[in-house]
Amino acid sequence: MRDLNDLKVLPSTRIERLRLILVFWIFSSGFIYVAAGLLVRQWLQSGDLKEQSDSQSRRIILKPPARGRIHDRNGYVLVDNRVRWSVKADLSELQPEFQTEYRKLLAAERARETGQIDREKIQDSARLNVLQRWLDKVWFVIDATSRNIKKNKIPVKSNPVDSPSERLVKIDDLRKHLRERRALPYTLVSDLAFPVADQSITTEEGVRAVARFVEQFPVDGPIRLDSDIIRTYPYGTLAAHVLGYVKDTDELPPNTLNDEKNELLQKLHYTGKKGAAGIEESYNEILCGLSGWELWTKTSAGYNKELLRKSDPTQGSFVVLSLDIEIQRAAEKALAQIKDSQGKVLPAAAVMLDVNTGEILALASQPTFNPNRLADRVTRTYFDEIETSGGWLNRAIQGLYPPGSTFKVITAIAGMRNKVIDWDDILECGPSYRVGGRDFPEHDPAGYGQVDLEKMLAVSCNVWNYQVGLGVGIEPLAAEARRFGLDTPLLQMPPSADNKNTTELPFPANRGLVVPDTAYKLRIGAGPWTGGDTANTAIGQGFLLTTPLHMACVAASVARGETRTTPTIIHDPGRDARHQGAESIGLNGLQLAALRSGLNRCVEEGTARSVMIPGLAFAAKTGTSEYFQKGQKAHLAWIIGYASADNPAVAFCVLVEGQLDTSTWGGKTAGPVARDMILAWAKKTPVSEVKPEVEEPAR
Amino acid sequence: MSWSWLIILLATYPWLFAADLLSDWTAHWGFNVFISGAAIVVPCSRLRRWQAVLFSGCVGFLFEARRPIPDGTLALALIAIAIFLTSNKPLLRNAPRLLRASLIVNFTATTIWFCATAFTLGQLSFNPLGAFLPQLLLQLITSALVSLILFWPLSLIQNSAMDYMNTPPANETP
Amino acid sequence: MDKNRQGAKASYVAFFVFVALWILAPSFVRMGTREAFVEFQAPALHLVAKGRDLARFWELKSKSSEELAAASRDLARINAALELKVRTLEDIRQENIRLRELARYTAPREFLTIVARVASRDSSSWWHRIILRKGRSDGIRPGCPVVFSDRVIGKVSLVHLNTCEVDLVTSPNFRCTAYLEGDEQGRIVLVSGLPANSLGTARAKIAVIPTDYVAPAGQSAKVVTTGMGGVFPAGLTIGTLDSNIRTTQEGNFKEGTLQPSRNLFSLQEVSVLVPIHPAAGEILLEKRYEDFQ
Repeated sequence: MRDLNDLKVLPSTRIERLRLILVFWIFSSGFIYVAAGLLVRQWLQSGDLKEQSDSQSRRIILKPPARGRIHDRNGYVLVDNRVRWSVKADLSELQPEFQTEYRKLLAAERARETGQIDREKIQDSARLNVLQRWLDKVWFVIDATSRNIKKNKIPVKSNPVDSPSERLVKIDDLRKHLRERRALPYTLVSDLAFPVADQSITTEEGVRAVARFVEQFPVDGPIRLDSDIIRTYPYGTLAAHVLGYVKDTDELPPNTLNDEKNELLQKLHYTGKKGAAGIEESYNEILCGLSGWELWTKTSAGYNKELLRKSDPTQGSFVVLSLDIEIQRAAEKALAQIKDSQGKVLPAAAVMLDVNTGEILALASQPTFNPNRLADRVTRTYFDEIETSGGWLNRAIQGLYPPGSTFKVITAIAGMRNKVIDWDDILECGPSYRVGGRDFPEHDPAGYGQVDLEKMLAVSCNVWNYQVGLGVGIEPLAAEARRFGLDTPLLQMPPSADNKNTTELPFPANRGLVVPDTAYKLRIGAGPWTGGDTANTAIGQGFLLTTPLHMACVAASVARGETRTTPTIIHDPGRDARHQGAESIGLNGLQLAALRSGLNRCVEEGTARSVMIPGLAFAAKTGTSEYFQKGQKAHLAWIIGYASADNPAVAFCVLVEGQLDTSTWGGKTAGPVARDMILAWAKKTPVSEVKPEVEEPAR
Repeated sequence: MSWSWLIILLATYPWLFAADLLSDWTAHWGFNVFISGAAIVVPCSRLRRWQAVLFSGCVGFLFEARRPIPDGTLALALIAIAIFLTSNKPLLRNAPRLLRASLIVNFTATTIWFCATAFTLGQLSFNPLGAFLPQLLLQLITSALVSLILFWPLSLIQNSAMDYMNTPPANETP
Repeated sequence: MDKNRQGAKASYVAFFVFVALWILAPSFVRMGTREAFVEFQAPALHLVAKGRDLARFWELKSKSSEELAAASRDLARINAALELKVRTLEDIRQENIRLRELARYTAPREFLTIVARVASRDSSSWWHRIILRKGRSDGIRPGCPVVFSDRVIGKVSLVHLNTCEVDLVTSPNFRCTAYLEGDEQGRIVLVSGLPANSLGTARAKIAVIPTDYVAPAGQSAKVVTTGMGGVFPAGLTIGTLDSNIRTTQEGNFKEGTLQPSRNLFSLQEVSVLVPIHPAAGEILLEKRYEDFQ
């Protein structure tokens, strides 16, 4: 101590010593606090803290898998994934160019001396001009096939008047981009292979455009090539309602991670896709696959540091639909030809299914949409376009309509089963029939005279049905309709992951089916049931509401001599031909033969004779029903039936919603669609070989 | 002699060219035989300032003519060095100092050239530790070695050229 | 001493003024300077290459007559075999012409082939270029494909009067589409040059490989041109796909490394294919695009 004092380092006065002691204690206690804290952290809390630090220094990145393919029954790929190539402009690299252009425009504006100069506007148009110049160059390369160059036929400069919209940079898009995502590159061409959404170009042309860009566009510079995977529907609008479409989602498909253990970890994920309608939605669980994941440590600045473990995404399983692309195409082509006087396509639906298995071969609804245009960014205009045209509605399944004369098949069966009439009984049918003080008309003002079952089916006699319907009574008639499943929703059961071949699926439910009876009328508060209601129901009018798919199932059931057909959209080569709730139709041989013969005569000489196919006999029943569209009466054209007449293999139903100003008749309007479907089917299955079995799948 | 810088350039050029050809050989492994920096030291010690500047600029441009460097980077850097050297001739007073200057100048010029190249190729923006730094280190070592080995013969040639042109020798006293 | 110091100050000022002027100078001034120095070096390059040829010539000349006799015997055999091949090829060519006429098929691209010797390789690190001894005066244009027998070498990037520079397939400025051997669906992949690592050999990246692609077992898959981009004829070999294929960050694709054909770095002679009708990319490169407008 003395030595230290001698050195005069330590303070000598009392007050200074006190100060020193104070400082000593302050520092000591501080040190003890820190040391104790360290001990506690290191020994007592180390386990917890390690966990915490792990979770803070690690992160999981989830990656969406590619979705599974969808095939038709013959193995054609209806829905696939493809690479999408896009062209993007790096805005930060373009900054000098923007500046130069801005100065140029500003100088020009000043030279014009127009008083107030709107700098913001000039800034915008400077950016627009620069980007437009680059876009022109991109198009210059995409367009420049050697043939075009030889002929000097490349349109180079886009002008706002006559250039197609995809060749123009849109100022609103650009402004929005600058406002919201300035740091990201601006997309000049969002899909290089299919730059024009409406225009159908072949895949090869698309690939060529990509290749031209890749090989010819300068690599250095602000224009970049980007690629990702998107869903593609190679046949465009074909079967769009069945297939559905996909939309962006933040909920990725499941992954193999142990969630509980990794609960604390930060999770990042890319945007995935999920089904938004049709098979894409209902089979999402099967199509979506497994998300991949990566476990990363991260730096304090938040960048990824080291990849610890990972699992690659697994592509979803495929789904094989029962659709037959040829028949589907024929149906849609024929539907598209039905137009009103202004040339607008009429809403319509067509179904064809396998009589024995119930597998749906074609399911078309019109108007439709192109899922390719919904697979990525959906433009508001396209969405509205579909909305106003009513294209979202799958009319074959969701459309509810009075079945009209096609229902007479059921009235006839009810009549025979309830012994009101037999197959060879003849009824006198005049031009109208009086029920409850009101004349119910025949559609032929002359009446049909003496009519038996076969003739009734051929000419679609109303009066015969009024009489039989009233004879049967509403309750047995309704019971008969229910026996054929007209009140049972179809295609409703969701598939489960472990049983992928569950046959039904939750298409938007066909709710609202109506098989009316006295209780129904009371329930909706329309008063007591009358004889007139029964007469109306007997000819498929009045309160009855059903879907084209239901009527197709009725046709298939009749063809088989049963009551129910369980339709399915999934192909299964080993499917047994049992149908849920099906029982024998309950007619004797003669009755059934007469019923079938009547349906044959409908094509041979009756209401469907305009669509007769020489050499291929088929059975049909047409219908023209009335319904109210926006408060006005309009016609519905129906045709149901099966082919071939002797050896039923396929059953069909076509419905067309008529307009007020067009004459829509079952045979004339809906018939051709049915004929084209039958021809497409027959082309694949020569008539001589038409067998009730399912064809061998050619995958 | 006002054209002496050009004569010296012509005398130096075969060395630069040989280094270029040697670089072709080593390009496969990704490094360059760089002597442009070392080549300007001796002329700077004897030439007048404007001559040294012209000489250095030409050496720089000759090197960067076919290389992805922002135009003029190396040439301007060499010019700046030349201005500094000619203003501080005592630094180049004797042989050891010349050798030291040659090492430092070549080192500096290599760094500038290499960083400029990396900048052009966008190499600086990602992963500097992975490729950039080791490569730079390798390059620097090479350039130091090259300037050590080649400085003596190069300076002999340049000096004899300048003697031939009657260029006054370097001022010994500060 | 003082005078010298003052002079130094003035030189620094002049230097900074010059730097400023240089930065502000229009690009053609800089390009012009650059061109001037390239042309200054061109004769030297030619000289060296000629010298190399001469050395080769003397090397051959110094061979003994036994060696020459053996070589000529071998040559005669090869000649005979090739003669036969030429015959068959002629047949095929005739058949091809006949079929083309039948199908009214116009050849998508016609090329003039210019054979050029390699003068030197450009030596900056990371930069993979070779310099050819033919240039603008021989009709070479930027953007022309450069091949050697059935292999892709690269693409002409800069053309000078008597020399031109070629971006090799491993150059970051090179990009083309390709097919992978073993992919029956014929999906295109993207080949682009990579900046080389230190001391590493030059490579190129193959991107956008479909995730379901499986390389043929036991061999490395060949990477060939598609011929769709309008630059390279179809079916030329670019290289082979390295066995190390990995899935990309997003998990949508796989990517791999291209092993360029071995002699890419020891070439003596290449062919430049100059299309008769310039491709759009050439027009962009040559800045003739504005004329088109």
